[in-house]
Amino acid sequence: MKKYLYIILLILGLFPGIILAGGFQINEHGAKAMGLGGAFTAIANDASAIYWNAAGLTQLKGTNFLLGTALIAPNSKFRGVTPAVDVNYMKSEVFFPSHFFLTHSFSPSFAAGIGITTPFGLGTEWSNGWIGRYLALRTQLTTFWVPITFAYSPVENLSFGAGFVYSFADVLITRNNSQAPFAGDAYVELEGNDHFAYGYTFSLMYKPLKELSIGASFRSEVDYEFEGTAIATGSEQLQEIGALPSGDVTAKLTTPMNIVGGVAIQVIPQLRLSADFQWIGWSSYDSLNVNFVDPETDDAASGRLYKDTYIIRFGAQYNVSDELSILGGIYFDKMPVDPQYVSPTLPDSDRLGLSIGADAKLFDRFGIVGSFLFIRASELTVTNSEEIYTVGDSPFNGTYNSSANLLSLSLYYHLQ
Amino acid sequence: MKKIYISISLLSFIVLAIIGCEDYNKLTAPEVNFGSADFTRFVAIGNSITAGYQSGTIYQSGQMYAYPNLIAQQVGTKFEMPYVSDPGLGGRMEIQSLSPFTIYYNTASGTPLNLNYTAPYNGLGVPGALLYDVLYATSSTTCASYVFGGTPNPYFDLILRNSALNIGTQLQQTLAQNPTFITLWIGNNDVLGYATSGGTSPAAPTDATTFGQLYGAIGQYLAQSGAKVVVANIPNVAAIPFFTTVGPQMVQLGVPVLVYFKSDNQTVAVASQNDLLTSKVLVTLKGSAYAPYIGKPTSKFYTDNGIPVPPNVIPDSAFGVNPYNPWPNALILDADEIVVANNAVTAFNTSIAGVAQNFGFGLVDVNSIFNSLRAADFTGGTSINGITFKTTYVSGGLFSLDGVHPSSQAHGIVANEFIKVINTKYGASIPLIDVGKIPGSIYFYSRISYKQGYPIIPNEVFKHLLF
Repeated sequence: MKKYLYIILLILGLFPGIILAGGFQINEHGAKAMGLGGAFTAIANDASAIYWNAAGLTQLKGTNFLLGTALIAPNSKFRGVTPAVDVNYMKSEVFFPSHFFLTHSFSPSFAAGIGITTPFGLGTEWSNGWIGRYLALRTQLTTFWVPITFAYSPVENLSFGAGFVYSFADVLITRNNSQAPFAGDAYVELEGNDHFAYGYTFSLMYKPLKELSIGASFRSEVDYEFEGTAIATGSEQLQEIGALPSGDVTAKLTTPMNIVGGVAIQVIPQLRLSADFQWIGWSSYDSLNVNFVDPETDDAASGRLYKDTYIIRFGAQYNVSDELSILGGIYFDKMPVDPQYVSPTLPDSDRLGLSIGADAKLFDRFGIVGSFLFIRASELTVTNSEEIYTVGDSPFNGTYNSSANLLSLSLYYHLQ
Repeated sequence: MKKIYISISLLSFIVLAIIGCEDYNKLTAPEVNFGSADFTRFVAIGNSITAGYQSGTIYQSGQMYAYPNLIAQQVGTKFEMPYVSDPGLGGRMEIQSLSPFTIYYNTASGTPLNLNYTAPYNGLGVPGALLYDVLYATSSTTCASYVFGGTPNPYFDLILRNSALNIGTQLQQTLAQNPTFITLWIGNNDVLGYATSGGTSPAAPTDATTFGQLYGAIGQYLAQSGAKVVVANIPNVAAIPFFTTVGPQMVQLGVPVLVYFKSDNQTVAVASQNDLLTSKVLVTLKGSAYAPYIGKPTSKFYTDNGIPVPPNVIPDSAFGVNPYNPWPNALILDADEIVVANNAVTAFNTSIAGVAQNFGFGLVDVNSIFNSLRAADFTGGTSINGITFKTTYVSGGLFSLDGVHPSSQAHGIVANEFIKVINTKYGASIPLIDVGKIPGSIYFYSRISYKQGYPIIPNEVFKHLLF
């Protein structure tokens, strides 16, 4: 029955697709930052500073609440497989990664905050029976961060932040496997979760001049160890001989560290410009291990090639009045993987983001920020794919086009 | 101030509106160069293989991958076939269980889907067709199996549909289409019937001289049509899993020697384990039903097949071991019979090559290709598009469950061999088919499940039931 071992190996091959695509980092943690194209590290002047730059918390007085959500509507299509140019559309779905932040200033030099947000996540689904079904049907990853942060300002223009991050995550991956030489496809579903993972953050903010602010922020890697099950269903006859194994699995996933530096300049009293450089350490992830808990079933390990990558962000905020400001931003996000490793679990590419937004203080203590972000991924044509979409060795070459529309709303409330 | 506010938002909206549009580059599939070949009207003449027959019947999900249909898709031309919805015309072999390996005979029947097509089919492969039939058969009662053996072949009525079309034989229906391109793969049955019956029915392959004359006549007609023609020769029948599976299995299960009847049903001969392992004698796949009775007293073969027990057989003696109850001749191709089959294949292929040469036809040397696939079995198989193929039964991936007819993926391999010949002969550059994209074609029998308390019975079970 060695013949059927390949089906086991295919199950174990499930995980890589999701991990090798670095673009599943979510950078929407507050409508204001999103409106500024994410160039917020040197600003960090609302409760979302807990995520962006905890050192900024000392700027806030009293107690602050910030609650919001981002509505993300991605769309992707794949044309191929080369030489064919047939269009395959990713199913359209809308995601709502939400955020809540609470900060409190204990003294002018000491503040603390707690929050919850979603720093990494992904959801892609392709139609049943589509040409890439042996690579991806549904892929879903959700991670939650609960950061507990502190900020201390030893002198007036300098502040430090540090935090502990509790995290939990769950993952679901489904796809088909061919039963060749037998007719029909098997269906494989892998789900798992990790209830306890942790990370940490450090940050600082320095204002050498009244008009100039410099920020830096470090967010650590988080090691997840998913525990869950792999279930393969197909023909009863294959199941009877154990060719479609099901069982408990464990798998490791490390989300990368982020190091961000930012600067913000108050050009005129009404206009502030900001810029960030965000470095993302994807190269820390170099191999993947999926283990069946049952020692009878073979485990698998595979090397993965990731590269560190970066995002450059620019933002502008124009204060129309004391109650209303207009936000605008632009960023460039460099894809972290070489094109040959791009898979339909996450159609990655270099991305350009353009955002606009408005911050309106409706009442003395209560305000609302709304932002719209459009992301255009550059057209990516893969000619040397390492992703195999047949029972044989045929590469999944073709052309990806992706874009996304994001709408974010945050409500903030200030208690003296 | 208001001006700045308006202009910023206006600018932003313009930018977003522009990039929000569907702005992706047009892609075009590369054009295929056909050289001097013209596929405007493409006709394929043949037997069960050309019809896409697999696992004992024709059914749509197998016919879709018949080699001429794959070629037609690759060159983008129309190809009408006599499709029958799954599971085919009744009697599809399906896997009931893998361990122990059990085959289910699916008696459910599909329906013909393309009966009302008003012209002859492009796919003129008729299961069971002999070379003679291409020239002479117009119906189930004018085909060789009826004329010479009294057995009608209903496939001729289903595919040639002369009661409606009244056009004639496979050849006449081909010429009536004014074809621009023809493939011809015929003659397999002129030796296969002899071989699969253990050398009993018919008692000899088609006479080599007759074969040469008939093939030459067909060649003449096809050449006169003005179409480009590619023919394929006959693969070595003795290497298909129908013959290579049961003998070695007997040895594995500890059968020490096999005592069998030679073709006169009088003489008894003995095959050693080595003979069984090295294909010196070939036990047919039909023999798998009787192999479990080896060493036991039985007359099962005779009672099953309605044959009176021969006077020289004592059913109470050990089957296949005792010379008074030998393994039946109809279930074995012995060394002498293998020579007869091989000589026929060689002679037929000489005729086919000669006709191809005479008329300037392309020739697909299926025999050599199959022999090299067979040879590679002993060195780990042949890798094609990343899949390892062997000629072994089921696990090898090349054959359907009947052990004779190619799987869908094997049809892909055959189609590629035709395309290679077309590309060379006519200066074309038709891309090869990715065999890995062709799905598996061996079906599992879906068993009735009582998991939720009620029996789950597929609807089609009742389709042919009379109340």
